[in-house]
Amino acid sequence: MSNTNTSSAHLIASHQEIVHFPKGGKPALAANEWLVWSGSQDEGGLPDLEHEAHKVLAPFTWWIERHHEADVIAKAKNGQIGVWFATDDDILKHAELIEAGKQYWPLVAAYFPIFRDGRSFSTAALLRDRLGWNKEIRMIGDVLIDQLLQGARVGFDSFALRHDQDLNVALQQFDLFSVTTQNSWRGKRSLLATN
Amino acid sequence: MYKYDHIDQTLVDQRVAQFRDQVSRRLNGTLAEEEFRPIRLQNGLYHQRHAFMLRVAIPYGLFSAKQLRTLALISEKYDRGYGHFTTRQNIQYNWVTLEDTPDILAELAKVEMHAIQTSGNCIRNITSDAFAGVAGDEYVDPRPVCELLRQWSTLHPEFAHLPRKFKFAVNGAKEDRTVLLCHDVGIELKKNTNNELTADIYAGGGMGRTPILGSLIKQDLPWHVLPSYLTALLRVYNRFGRRDNLYKARIKILVKALGPEEFARQVEGEWLHIKNGDDNFTQAEWNRVAQHFTKPAYKSLTALSAAQVIDLATEAEKAAFARWIERNVKSHQVPGYTSVILSLKPHGTVAPGDVTTAQMLAIADLADQYSFGELRATHEQNLVLADVEQSKLYELWQEAKRQKVALPNVGLLTDIIACPGGDFCSLANAKSLPIAKAIQERFDDLDYLFDLGGISLNISGCINSCGHHHVGNIGVLGVDKDGEEWYQITLGGEQGNDAAIGKVIGPSFYADEIPNVITNIINTYVKERTEDESFISTYRRLGVAPFKEAAYKDKLENAKKKDEVGDKVAAGDAS
Repeated sequence: MSNTNTSSAHLIASHQEIVHFPKGGKPALAANEWLVWSGSQDEGGLPDLEHEAHKVLAPFTWWIERHHEADVIAKAKNGQIGVWFATDDDILKHAELIEAGKQYWPLVAAYFPIFRDGRSFSTAALLRDRLGWNKEIRMIGDVLIDQLLQGARVGFDSFALRHDQDLNVALQQFDLFSVTTQNSWRGKRSLLATN
Repeated sequence: MYKYDHIDQTLVDQRVAQFRDQVSRRLNGTLAEEEFRPIRLQNGLYHQRHAFMLRVAIPYGLFSAKQLRTLALISEKYDRGYGHFTTRQNIQYNWVTLEDTPDILAELAKVEMHAIQTSGNCIRNITSDAFAGVAGDEYVDPRPVCELLRQWSTLHPEFAHLPRKFKFAVNGAKEDRTVLLCHDVGIELKKNTNNELTADIYAGGGMGRTPILGSLIKQDLPWHVLPSYLTALLRVYNRFGRRDNLYKARIKILVKALGPEEFARQVEGEWLHIKNGDDNFTQAEWNRVAQHFTKPAYKSLTALSAAQVIDLATEAEKAAFARWIERNVKSHQVPGYTSVILSLKPHGTVAPGDVTTAQMLAIADLADQYSFGELRATHEQNLVLADVEQSKLYELWQEAKRQKVALPNVGLLTDIIACPGGDFCSLANAKSLPIAKAIQERFDDLDYLFDLGGISLNISGCINSCGHHHVGNIGVLGVDKDGEEWYQITLGGEQGNDAAIGKVIGPSFYADEIPNVITNIINTYVKERTEDESFISTYRRLGVAPFKEAAYKDKLENAKKKDEVGDKVAAGDAS
């Protein structure tokens, strides 16, 4: 079950399959087409997209520095590059760059260095509410079954769980609650929704 | 009081089911302890020194006789026959098992109770004035706002893993009975000149190892925009609060580091984008909630004078009854009614705030009989019957005496706030309960206590300061030195409108020195006070010096004696 994407040390590992839970849709397993590059490769470049995989999520800090380069733009235009936000990336300071990135990135991700660091919940909320990002946002890093519901409600719609997590249990998390007492990305609080 | 609708009930029931599954995954080993920990904490379950402790929420301190009976049954069935009321308007059970906890939560859900967010790094149980809705000095009943905020904060997804715990207090009376400025966020409710409900927001207060009083960061905020404003505030904290050091992760450190003006500016910047959104409360929500906080069916009564009330007692009991009236009975908004504080601080027997199963059942009966079936838990770890007819005070007093909850020591030196300390808590450096007991035994003379007047004495078993020692007129803090338990004294702390953080007077003491140290401090007050001057006023007038000198008097004398003996030994003339 626990096929892992740990072939390279410079990649952020996760379960082979991801959980997709589009807004208004149902949660389901899907193949993971994206490598998550940690940015730690010595040469300072992307992983080899020819041999490893065709699509890569790169650190946003790398994008800030390299997004003017022709080969980066070419790959991005080809839909091969997305970015992920570290917990201390101040996305609001780079709102213009994120606005420009909307034309390139098929998805973005936010990283959880450890499951109990909730900063990326606010990142996802800001991406949805403030920056108007309307494509996929993936939860990456130390992603556990018991944080999925919170992630789904703040704006994440795909989840690269840690390799040891049971995906069948994960899939059952999203319908544990039929009511809410505050608004979320997925809908209004129950009281407003029923009015 | 508030009644769950189907949304509240469904949410609490589904939360129980969720936790049952999480416990079962923990027990079958597929969920690691480290990863289960934040989950169980957000369901009120701690792992303490000897066993699991379950902390049950009493939102803004208000609960019913029916709920208290369930709390009593839980203490009987799943614990050791008692519960412990805390300074945060929660009740704790000290001896539950992990396996039983889902069943306990299910029992609680049947009476509209839960343990959601009573612990963990999330928005905690919201505290408020135990006399809300009845206090004579109240200008806004805070309970509808408290309830709306309870709902808004319950299972809030964005703020489920904050840098640290996050505590709200809400006050709406002239006198602050919530320790507003020692909360992460203090919400002071007011009516503006157009009679509209508004809030002043204080942020960055807290006790712990860096006690700081909160700063005013926003004035005259309309009540209905509280969710968007608080979202902005929490978002700034969630994103920029420190996570590298547990002790520097509270919002008070962020507010201090940025300065309150800069923090307020950042919150304002965030709020600008969401202030007009539909996160805000609607009038319909207010109406639905507020209808539960209307006045009970008060009778039309004539107010009795103090003398008339005391005349209800027999001659032999008049003096004792009068004393109880003076300390444990408070004025009320409605003529002919009073609020009664049941003291959970009997001298020298149990921990402050502890109540046995039998007492809980009996107190529930008292609430039904004398106070419309409602109760309140106070920050000082006592219970309140808020709506008692003056003409029934005497019979209530006799019942309360039988249950050993009638000691007239409210606000006096032995009305000690104390955390469970090293007897239970795995964080504690030292015990709290034996210190509280020793002080109560030393000051067991009620006449003397009365003469001393209002003095708060708070004890914490460690720097986390659950016993709120920083805001006690006299604070006792357990500290660890080379594996031994020592106690540090602070003086000058105060809760209420003149809230102040106490100052450490000097090196710490052994446990068995504490009763003498307290006695010496009290004797100094008695010697120095002017007529009718309270302890804290005398302290503020004289400063720490005379109290400090008195506190260390015995230590100096003992050291001197030791030196003299040493000299004699050295001179060879020891007998």
